[in-house]
Amino acid sequence: MQPARAAASVGGMDAHTFETMGTVVSLRIGGAAGDGDRAGVPSPEAALDAVRNVFTRWDERFSLYRPDSEISRISRGDIRLTQASAELRDCYAVALDWRDRTDGVFTPHRADGVLDLSGVVKSLAIAEAGEVLRGLSLSEWSVNAGGDLLVNGDQSPGQDWVAGIVDPASRQELLASVPLVAPVRAVATSGSAERGEHIWTSVGGGPSPYRQVSVIGLDIVTVDVLATTIVAGGEAALNRSVETFPIEVLAVLQDGSLVATAGLRSRNG
Amino acid sequence: MRARAVSLATLASLSVLAVGWQVGAQANASMQALSAPQAAPATIPAPSAGPATPTPAATAPTVSGPATTAGSAATAPTAAASTAAAPAPAAPAPAAPAPAARPTGTFTGSSVRTPYGPVQVSVTIANGTITEVTALQLTNDGGRSVAISAQAAPILRSEVLSAQSAKVSNVSGATYTTRGYLTSVQAALDTAGF
Repeated sequence: MQPARAAASVGGMDAHTFETMGTVVSLRIGGAAGDGDRAGVPSPEAALDAVRNVFTRWDERFSLYRPDSEISRISRGDIRLTQASAELRDCYAVALDWRDRTDGVFTPHRADGVLDLSGVVKSLAIAEAGEVLRGLSLSEWSVNAGGDLLVNGDQSPGQDWVAGIVDPASRQELLASVPLVAPVRAVATSGSAERGEHIWTSVGGGPSPYRQVSVIGLDIVTVDVLATTIVAGGEAALNRSVETFPIEVLAVLQDGSLVATAGLRSRNG
Repeated sequence: MRARAVSLATLASLSVLAVGWQVGAQANASMQALSAPQAAPATIPAPSAGPATPTPAATAPTVSGPATTAGSAATAPTAAASTAAAPAPAAPAPAAPAPAARPTGTFTGSSVRTPYGPVQVSVTIANGTITEVTALQLTNDGGRSVAISAQAAPILRSEVLSAQSAKVSNVSGATYTTRGYLTSVQAALDTAGF
């Protein structure tokens, strides 16, 4: 498949896309994005390249789909974890920390024992892309990697970023639209709607009660891990997560009904 | 199918209302019981304040921290809990001194069965005055309790934040594949430059 790449601009907001990690990243840059003429403000193309480099680096090191990636070599036993790069060990440490913070529901080990860091790799890449964009003095942007979203600044002057949450029963429709008012900056959704049962349901072994779980919160790694955790851990994990972390949750049960935290309720009914 | 889902959701909402009502009743009972020591402070020692004594069941921790409303700053109490867990001023309960032997501490009522699972009401008293009432749902996974006000509750699709906003610029969904992206709402938004 040809790399999908598109650039469009309406009202000063550029949208760019590129493929990575088996999905598509959409990058929007607004506000201070320059045309390359203004000193100190990079062009949208430069920002896009910087973000793409971040994702490519993470994908090359952490993709189990790439036989030559470092994590594939570890899973085959070619090299030991103790011989792994500092980047990989740091990532593993982050995943283990989240295992502890979710009472073991989130885990960096597959059921067959293979080390699988994909539960944190994408969101860590999104977070690093955000740092890179801030480092480029860009303040108004959004990074959406396969449905997981991090924003900065405003969508347009005086207008908060608004995220839609897709309806798993009809992916052309939205269940909700959620304004991301600072400090709320990140949304992640997990479930079985797009990629089949890609989350191992370790707790109890049965299928998840949730077809889709969206978590809205302060940072992309937290919301992504907790969305996965709630799908895998069911109602107990949902209760524990909303009790422990400053998040909002919208979950779709297998029968299509919804549960949501109070912040996602419509003010006017 | 859809109608069934809606009716189930409606049923669930009614359950929540029922819980809210029951919790409210329980809270009122607790408050009445606990207002007695206020009227006659000398006769009743703190730890055995009427029916709201700590339950000996010991399956669940009886104290929830006063700040368990885990939502963000934008979080409001849910409808389910608003009847019972009326937000009280910050309650540094057990630390407050009790000069006149008035009850101080956090007391948990007995568990009541509801359609939403077993529910307990915890009341925090500082110097004979109720400062906070918290409804706890006892989850069935090891007896850990959570504050209902912080929970995700069943809602109808019409109750969720409007999906009609024209200002959506990004869509969150379960990870789509490269192929799936092509037919996604996100692709349409990207093409349009929203």
